[in-house]
Amino acid sequence: MTSELSIFAARLRDYISICEMEPLLLEPSDDPALKAHCDAEFNGMALVLFALQCKQNPSYRRFAQARGIASAEVGHWSEIPAIPTDAFKELELSCLPAAERTRVFHSSGTTRQTPSRHFHNPESLGVYEASLLAWFRARMLPGGAAARANLDLAVLTPAAGQAPHSSLAHMLECVRREFRAAGAAEGFVFGQVDNEGAWGLDFEGVVKTIRAAVEKKRPLLFAGTAFSFVHLLDFLAVRGLTFALPEGSRVMETGGYKNRSRTLPKAALHSLITDLMGVSPSGIFCEYGMSELSSQAYDRVEVAGSRVFRFPPWARARVISPETGREVENGETGILQIIDLANVFSVLAVQTEDLAIRREDAFELLGRSEKTEPRGCSLRAG
Amino acid sequence: MFIEGRLITAMHLPHYFIADLPPEAVLSPGLIVEACQSLQRNRQKYLAARSTQSLVELLCGVAGDWMQPEFRLRRIALEQGPGETGFSRATIAKGLDEFFRRFTPENFHALLVQELGHVRRLDGIVSTGPEEVHCRAALALGPGLLVHVAAGNLPNPAWMSLVLGILTRSAQFMKCASGSSLLPRLFAHSIYEADPKLGACLELAEWRGGREDLETALFSGADCVTATGSDETLASIRVQLSGHTRFLGYGHRLSFAFVARGALSRAQGPRVAAGAAADVAAWNQLGCLSPHTFYVQHGGEVTPERFAELLAQELIGLEGSEPRGVVPAETAARIAALRGIYEVRAAHRPDTRLWMSRDTTAWTVVLENEPLFQLSCLHRFIHVRAVDDITAALEGADAVRHQVSTVGVAASEEQQRELGALLARWGAARVCPIGRMQTPPLTWRHDGRPALGDLIRWTDVEI
Repeated sequence: MTSELSIFAARLRDYISICEMEPLLLEPSDDPALKAHCDAEFNGMALVLFALQCKQNPSYRRFAQARGIASAEVGHWSEIPAIPTDAFKELELSCLPAAERTRVFHSSGTTRQTPSRHFHNPESLGVYEASLLAWFRARMLPGGAAARANLDLAVLTPAAGQAPHSSLAHMLECVRREFRAAGAAEGFVFGQVDNEGAWGLDFEGVVKTIRAAVEKKRPLLFAGTAFSFVHLLDFLAVRGLTFALPEGSRVMETGGYKNRSRTLPKAALHSLITDLMGVSPSGIFCEYGMSELSSQAYDRVEVAGSRVFRFPPWARARVISPETGREVENGETGILQIIDLANVFSVLAVQTEDLAIRREDAFELLGRSEKTEPRGCSLRAG
Repeated sequence: MFIEGRLITAMHLPHYFIADLPPEAVLSPGLIVEACQSLQRNRQKYLAARSTQSLVELLCGVAGDWMQPEFRLRRIALEQGPGETGFSRATIAKGLDEFFRRFTPENFHALLVQELGHVRRLDGIVSTGPEEVHCRAALALGPGLLVHVAAGNLPNPAWMSLVLGILTRSAQFMKCASGSSLLPRLFAHSIYEADPKLGACLELAEWRGGREDLETALFSGADCVTATGSDETLASIRVQLSGHTRFLGYGHRLSFAFVARGALSRAQGPRVAAGAAADVAAWNQLGCLSPHTFYVQHGGEVTPERFAELLAQELIGLEGSEPRGVVPAETAARIAALRGIYEVRAAHRPDTRLWMSRDTTAWTVVLENEPLFQLSCLHRFIHVRAVDDITAALEGADAVRHQVSTVGVAASEEQQRELGALLARWGAARVCPIGRMQTPPLTWRHDGRPALGDLIRWTDVEI
C-alpha cells in the first residue's frame, strides 16, 4: 500500500544526505542559478508527494476536494492546500493503515484538550530522524563530528521512554544517540515526569553537571523547552547560584510556556540564561517545531539584529495573510504555513496558528495568538 | 470636502477632562484626589439642586445634537473613532443613532417611574397613589461621588452609566480602559458644551489597569462604584473598597438567539435573517448583548441551512453598507484558524457548512447540526445550530446558563410569550425580538438589575 510513499521516502532521505554533503545547499543562497535549482527540486518533490498523499490519505483528499483542488492541476507547491493543525485533533491524518502505526506523537497542551495526533511507523520515524538530525547538526553543531566530541549534551526534557508521545523527547533522544555515535558521552537527561504526567527537572543533577563542566572546562549544550529553562533559572536564582559555562557552551530552547511556568519574553529569558549560566547570547538558539511536523526551524541573528528562523531545504515556511489567504509581502505579519516534505506519511502542508513576520524566505516568530475560548467551552466540547 | 476632512482630523478637544491631556501627562494619586474633591464641590454648587425635568431636557437636547450629521462632536467620533476603536465609521454612526434615538422625555419618564415609582422621586419627597393611601412618601438620593470603571470594548455601557449618574445628580469620575476613552469623552464634552456647570461635575481619565495607587485614591472618596469587566477585574476592585462604598459589578455576559419553526415561513424567515444579521453586525458583535449562536428549529419552510444561507447573504449586504473594519492580525489569525477547522469539518460532514467573506475575515457563518452552545470568536463570526426544539437549545446552552444576558427570539405571536416565560425561568435576564438584541430600551434592567434603582439610597417618610 505504501510502496510509492516508501520510494518517495528513500528519495527524500537521499536528498537530505546530499544537502548534508554539500553545505552550499544548507545555506540561503544569493546565486540565482542555485536558487532556481533548489526551487525546482523542492517543487518537483512537493508535487509528487501531494499527489501520493491525496491517493493514500482519505481525510486530506476530502479536504483538498472541498477546496476544489485536484492534485493533477497543481503546478506549484504554494498551491498545495494546507490543513489546519487543529485538524490533527479531529481527523486521523495519516497515510499509514491503522495496523501499521507503531508510534503516535501528541501535541502538548493542557490535559483537558484533545491533543493533535501524528502517527508513525518505523519507516516514517526514520525520515523524521534523518530530517531532524541533519538540520540539528547544521544549525546547532557547526564544526562537524570533531566539535561534537568536545561538547557534552544536557537534555532538560524527559527520556523518550518516559514521554513516549512527545516528539521533542524523541528528537532529543535521537540527538543523544548521535552524540554517542560520535564517540562523545551520550549526554545527560535531567527531565522527569511525575505521576500526573507533568514535566520536572533534576535540579541537583543539572547543578552538579554544570559544576563539573566548569571544572573540566568542557562546554555543554543544553536543550529543552522554554518553561524548563525558566524552572532551572528560577532554581538557580533562589539558591543564589551563577555560573560561567566554558566558552562554546550552547542553548537550544523551544516551545511556548503552556502555563507550565511563568511566562518570560524571549529577550528576558535569554539574558537570564546569559546572566546565570554564562552562555553568551550568540550561543543561544530557538527551535520551532511541533508534533505535526517532521522538520524544525532554528533561528539565528540575521540582518538588522532580528532573530530569523529557517527550515532546512526540504521544508518551507510561508507567511500567509489571515485575511486573504495569500502570502504577505516581505516585512508584513501573517500566519505561518509549513510545507514539510519529511511529513511523507501524513500531510505535507500544515497551516499553523502562529503569527510571524515574513523576512524574505525566512520568518521572525511572534508567537501563537491565544485562542480565547471563554470558560468552560471549547470547539471539541461534547 | 478634503480641506474640511483635514480640519476635522486635526481638531483637538479642549482640555476639560484629565483624559483630554496629552498622553505624556503624568497622573498622580494627588491629582485624582483633588479632582474628586472639586467634582464634589461643583456638584453641591451646580447639580444637587437641579430638577429632574431640567436634566431630562438637557439629556434629550444633547441626544438630539448627536443625531445631527453636522454635530461637531459626532463628526469627530466618526472621523477619529475608526482609528481608536476599530469600528468602521458606519458602525459607529449606527451605534450612535440607535443609542441616542431612545432619549425622549417619555422614555426617561418611563424609566423613572419603573425604577423609582414616581417621576419626581429624585426632586423631593413625593408619594405614589398607593403610598398616599398608606400615608407614606419617599425621597430617592443618588450617590454623592459615583465612580465608574468602564471596560473598553464598546461605548454604550459607559454612556449609559454617565446618563444615569446625571439623573441621580452625582459627581462622576469615569476611569476608562487604556486607549478607549474617546467615545465616552466626546459624550462628556457634549454635556459640558451644553451645560458647563454640569460638565464640571464630570471627570474622565484613562490608565492601564493595575495602577493601585491611582485606584486607591479614586475609590477612597466614592459613595458608589460601578464596574464592567471580567470576574477577575470585578473581584480586584471589590477588595479595594471600604464597607460603606456600594459596588455594582457587571461581569461578562453572553447572548444567543432562538428561531422557532413558527417564524420560519417563506415570508417571515428572510426578515428574521435580516434582523439576525443586524444583531451580528451591531458593534461588530462585541457586546454582552451580541449573539454568539443562533439556534434554528428544524421543520420550518425555511430550513436551518437555508436560514444560515440567508444570514450570510444579509451579512454580505451589511459589509457593503456597514463594513466591519480592520481587525488586528491576532484577531484575524484566530478567525482564520477557526474557519480552517470548520472547513475541515465541512469537508467531512454533510451537515456542517461554512459561508464566509472572500479575501477578508469580515464575516463568517458556520452551520452545524449540533445543539451544544458555541462561543464565537466575535467580530461577525456567527454560529447557526439546527435544533429540534427550544428544550434541545437550552440543554445545549446549559454550560453558560448563568452567564446569559439576552436571548433573542423569533416565533409566532402566541409562542413568543410562552418562550419568554420559559426563558425567564431558565435564567435569561432579557428576552427580545431578533434584530433588537443590541438596542435595549432605556428601561432595560441591566443584567436583570434595576440600573437606576441600584444607585439609589431611599428615605422613607411616614406621615
